[in-house]
Amino acid sequence: MARVRLDHLGKSFGATAVLDDVSLDIASGEFIAFLGPSGCGKSTLLRMIAGLETVETGQIHIGDRRVDALAPGDRGVAMVFQHYALYPHMTIFENMAFGLRNAKVPKAEIETRVADAARILEIERFLQQKPGQLSGGQRQRVAIGRAIVKKPDLFLFDEPLSNLDAALRMRTRLELAQLRRRVQATMILVTHDQVEAMTLADRIVVMSDRRIQQVGTPMEIYARPANRFVATFVGSPPMSFLDATLGEGAGGLARATLAGGAAVDTEVPLAALPAGAGWRLGLRAEAVKVVAPGAGLVDAKVEFVERLGDRTLVYLRLADGSAITAEDAGTSRAAMGDAVGLALDGPVHLFDADDRAHYGPLA
Amino acid sequence: MSALDRAAGRNPWIDRLGWAALTLAALVMVAPLLWTVGLSLKANGELLRDTASVFRGPYTLENYGSILARPAAFRWLANSLLVSLCTTAGVLALSSLAGYGFARLKFPGRKWLFALVLFGLAVPEQSVIITRHQLFSALHLHNTYPGLILPGLAAPFGVFLMTQYFKAIPVELDEAAMLDGASRRQVFWKVLLPLTLPAQATLGIFTFLSSWNDYWWPLISATRSEMFTLTVGVASSQINFAQTSGLGFLMAQAVFASAPILVVYVFFQKYIVRAVSGAAVR
Repeated sequence: MARVRLDHLGKSFGATAVLDDVSLDIASGEFIAFLGPSGCGKSTLLRMIAGLETVETGQIHIGDRRVDALAPGDRGVAMVFQHYALYPHMTIFENMAFGLRNAKVPKAEIETRVADAARILEIERFLQQKPGQLSGGQRQRVAIGRAIVKKPDLFLFDEPLSNLDAALRMRTRLELAQLRRRVQATMILVTHDQVEAMTLADRIVVMSDRRIQQVGTPMEIYARPANRFVATFVGSPPMSFLDATLGEGAGGLARATLAGGAAVDTEVPLAALPAGAGWRLGLRAEAVKVVAPGAGLVDAKVEFVERLGDRTLVYLRLADGSAITAEDAGTSRAAMGDAVGLALDGPVHLFDADDRAHYGPLA
Repeated sequence: MSALDRAAGRNPWIDRLGWAALTLAALVMVAPLLWTVGLSLKANGELLRDTASVFRGPYTLENYGSILARPAAFRWLANSLLVSLCTTAGVLALSSLAGYGFARLKFPGRKWLFALVLFGLAVPEQSVIITRHQLFSALHLHNTYPGLILPGLAAPFGVFLMTQYFKAIPVELDEAAMLDGASRRQVFWKVLLPLTLPAQATLGIFTFLSSWNDYWWPLISATRSEMFTLTVGVASSQINFAQTSGLGFLMAQAVFASAPILVVYVFFQKYIVRAVSGAAVR
C-alpha cells in the first residue's frame, strides 16, 4: 500500500493540451475512481501514473519515491487494461508469471503466488490454456490475476469492465469490490460509467476538459455537485435546470423565483451569494413529483414517459419552454400529452451564471 | 452455400466438368516434372536416338551415379544451402528489427525512411546490377560467400511485411510487458517476436525459395566453379547447346537441384499455401 501524490501535472499532445495543472492526494489503501467523459484526460492521467506517458510538468510520488522519471516496471504499479492485453502466445500461468520472472522472483515463490491468485479468482483450471481459449470474463480475471501476483503498491484499472456484457459487468464489479477487501493496495480505476465509480470507489475524481472538476465521496459528489458539469454527468437521469431570479426568503435564505412566478426556498443564505443574474435551479428527478394540474408548483406537459419497472421517468416541458425530468412510481399513469402539475420533494441546487454550485452550511 | 455447391446442386455435370478441368490443369502442371524425372532415368545414348523412349524401359540410375561421381555437384549443393539459409536468416533478422523500428519507435525522418524502403520495391534488379557488380568488384567480394549473400539481405518487401505485422499487434501488449518490468529488448524478444511467427514463416519460405532459385546474380558474382550455386552449376554442366548428347545426365542434375526445394514444399506445404493466399498476414 502506498500514498500517491500528484503535483501540478500537465500534459499536451503536440498543440493539444490534455491535462492542465492536476493535483491530487490519494491516501494509502484508498480506492479512487477517475470519472469523466471520453477525452477528458482521465486515461492519460492514469497512463502518466503508470509511466506509459511522459510527464511534461509536475511530479508524481508513489509512497516516498518520486516516480515520474522511473520506468513503468520500476514504479511498483500493476495495471489491468481495457482489452486485457494478455500475451496470446503464453499460457495463463506464463502470463501471470511473466512479471515475476522479469523481477527474478524465485521459481517456487512464483508458483505459490500464481496458485494463490488463481484460487482467489477461480481460474485454476485454465492455467495451462492460452488466452484465446478463454471467454471475455475469464480473460478479465486472468488480467486481474496478473496484476495481483505482483503484489503492487498501486493497482491501476483502465476501464476494466467496459468490454463485458451487462450481466458479467455487474458480477465482475462485485468481485472487484470483494477483491479490494482481500488485496491490501491503493487502487485507481478509470471509468466513464458513474455506477462503477459510485459503487467501487471511496472517492471519485470527476474530470472534464483537462481538469479535475470535483473530488469527493460518491455521496458528496451526488448530493453536492460542485458545478453544473458534475451535476449533469453524475446521476441518471441528469439533473434538470430551470432559470431563476433570487430574492430573500424566510430566515435570510435565498428564495428562487421561476419564470412562471413560482417561488422555491433554498438552504443557502442570500448574504453568502455573489450579486448578479443568470441563476439556475438544479433539480434531480427524484426531487420532482408529478401531481394533478394546478396542485403543484407549476404546470407542465408530459413529453415522454420512460417506464423502468420500479419507477417511471416523466419528461416534461414547462410553459416557458424549459425541460424538466420528474420521477414517478412504477405504476404511474402519466401519458404523453397529459397536462400535469409539478411538486418539489427534496433538495434543490443553486448554480450561478458561471455554473458553480452554492450550498448552505452542512447540517 | 457456396456458388460451387449451388451449381453442383442444379447440375452434377457442371461439377464433373470442373473436376475434369482441374485434373487436366494438374496434369499440365506436373507433366514437365514427370518428363524431367523420366529423362533422368534413361541412358544418354538412348535419348540421343529418341526421347520418346522415356515411355518404355529399360530405366537406369547411371545418371545419378555420375552426379555422385562428381564432387562439384555436392559443393554446389552446399553453396546453395549456405547462401539460401544465410540469406533467409539475415532477411528475417533484419526485417524483424526494421519492422519493429518502423512500427513502434518514433524517430525523426521515420516516414521518409519508410517511403524510401517502399521505393526499393519498385527498383528492378536489372537496373542496379552493373553498379552492384562494380561495387562488389572494388570490394573484392566476387567469388566469396558474402558476395553471394549480401545482395539478398536488402529486402524491402520483408521490411514492409514485418512493419505491417508489428503494427497490427496491439501496443497494449508492449505496455503490459513494460509494466511487467520487461526492457525494450525483452518486449521485442519475448512478447512481440513470437507473435510474428506466421509472418516469419511466410517471409522465410519466400526468401529461401527465391534465393535458392536465383540464377542471375550468382552467375555474375561466382565465376569460379567451387563458388557456383546449384542453379549456375547445373547450367554450366550443359555439354552442348541442344543437349543432344547428355540430356539424361542434365535432367538428373535438375532433379538433384530441386530435391531440397521439394523437401521444403513437403514440410512447409501448409505455410506455403497460407503465404500464397495471404492468410498468414492477418
